[in-house]
Amino acid sequence: MSENANPLTFGDIDRRVLATLAPASRGYWAAVGLLAFGVLIGAGCWAYQIAAGVGVAGMNNPVAWGTYLINFVFWVGIAHSGTLISAILHLMRASWRNPIVRAAETMTVFAVCVAGLFPFIHLGRVWMVYYMLSIPNQRNLWQNFQSPLMFDVLAISTYLTVSTLFWYTGMLPDLAVVRDRSTGKKKKIFTIISLGWTGAQEQWRHYTRAYLFFAALATPLVISVHSVASWDFTLGVVPGWHSTIFAPYFVAGAIHSGLSMVLTLMIPMRRIFNYEKIITIDVLENVAKAIIFTGFIVAFAYGTEFFMAWYSQNPVELEVFRNRPFGDYAAGFWIMAVCNTILPVVFFFRFARRSLSILFMVSILVNIGMWFERFVIIVTSVSRDFIPHAWGLYAPTWVEFGIMIGSFSLFFFLFVLFVKHLPSVSMTEMKEMLGKRGGHGG
Amino acid sequence: MADDRTIMGIFSDEETTLSAVRALKETPWSIENVMSPIPSREIADELSTKPSRVGYFTLAGGIIGFFTGFALSAYTALQWQLVVSGKPIVALVPFFIVGFEFTILFAVFGNVVGLILKMKLPDYRGLADHDSRCTGACFCVVAVCPVSDEQKLLNFLKNSGADTRILS
Repeated sequence: MSENANPLTFGDIDRRVLATLAPASRGYWAAVGLLAFGVLIGAGCWAYQIAAGVGVAGMNNPVAWGTYLINFVFWVGIAHSGTLISAILHLMRASWRNPIVRAAETMTVFAVCVAGLFPFIHLGRVWMVYYMLSIPNQRNLWQNFQSPLMFDVLAISTYLTVSTLFWYTGMLPDLAVVRDRSTGKKKKIFTIISLGWTGAQEQWRHYTRAYLFFAALATPLVISVHSVASWDFTLGVVPGWHSTIFAPYFVAGAIHSGLSMVLTLMIPMRRIFNYEKIITIDVLENVAKAIIFTGFIVAFAYGTEFFMAWYSQNPVELEVFRNRPFGDYAAGFWIMAVCNTILPVVFFFRFARRSLSILFMVSILVNIGMWFERFVIIVTSVSRDFIPHAWGLYAPTWVEFGIMIGSFSLFFFLFVLFVKHLPSVSMTEMKEMLGKRGGHGG
Repeated sequence: MADDRTIMGIFSDEETTLSAVRALKETPWSIENVMSPIPSREIADELSTKPSRVGYFTLAGGIIGFFTGFALSAYTALQWQLVVSGKPIVALVPFFIVGFEFTILFAVFGNVVGLILKMKLPDYRGLADHDSRCTGACFCVVAVCPVSDEQKLLNFLKNSGADTRILS
């Protein structure tokens, strides 16, 4: 490949990454403005909901959990592959992840921020949120720590804190590189946020050890976070939810969607910033291979759910699983099944794994499929509960669509701001990868 | 000391730096610091740096976190003894999950506190003599010699393949 013809040097890496921090074009600010408008739409819809009451959303009895919790699970899922790439692959010494680690970690932080908004939105009376915190009050009321919803509050806030600290710590040497190559106000800002990093052996000695511990702690955390999110459902006795496979099923699904989002973000970023020599096609190919693997786990989980319903011969379970592919929400089910399990099979072919257009298309379709997976799990289960006369239907309202547009806009808004203001590729980890191969020089 | 000279040698790659560090150890001059754009185990071994003790902070944080999480859940449950689904008031399994999340959270806090204390961050004093090349593409060795040996050390570093800079 021509992109590998001239090996990179340390200096090349710095120059290419630092070039992305140059003053932005008008096109960039137009994109930022458009995304900010999307955020305003979401904020406006939320403000309207606060003023008018949560009844403006389509949630009803029996479908009391709608798009707010679908989006919550979706965005937590998106976050997961960032930690997979930054922590789990770091522990496995998979150096191919180095070019995409920073962007994936950033994706994690922003996705958890967006996910964290949805429980607030779902609450309706958002000012009551303090009931979820351990704040003593005159009635001596405390949270119920036996509830999986409280596990989730703890897990998500821990995940946000840990991933933010991991992200910032990992960026420290790169912030110093930017500091050393900038002037004026920018230099002052980067001097403060790089905390006086000089690359001294004494600093590296503690830094590498702490980074390893971060990775070792983030690994069980990431598995626990989506397991806990799945227990929000499985610890209820609702048919379609009350299942022991949910924790691994949710974790695999989360990584499946997160890896796809990595491709969705990396492919345009690679093109816009001329990162072809850094984020090589081999890196994207490896992500595609991982998507095949997670796609098969997800397919196995879908099959297992149907098998368990059939094997139990429980009429309520049987009805829920008959309703999914043939009932009112059949379209959602088939979008989920095709996008998440059948489309990724195309990555068995090398040409598909190395074609940017196919990678990009499949990554978007898998994310659509994963959104519908959460829709199918949440809505089809409660809409067909135990008693037929209590069955019901659910459709999101314009307020929910507005908030959803706002959430996607907020995620991309933050990401677009990040790529122009902070190093979007880990220069240090790229240099480490190059150092091991024997490449140096300036 | 006033009678000493501090000189920085700036090398273009890790191997040359490593050779220079090895050779410097055989001289009467001392190595004050080595800066590099990437962590180098070989250089660390050559400088006989001890393993970091950040892990003790992480471990302490984790232990404190587990007991804090478990104690908080037990305390709050005991304040309002509401039986849920026939489960005991102090229920071990759900409270273990709370303990686990707190373990990770506090271990990470311990890790960060350890990092800040051990690296003495933020510390902007080191930037006074800092050379921007040391965070970019070069490896920098800071050596100290008596003023009388200044030229010898400069020549030594140049012969080892370094650009040189007198710091003080």
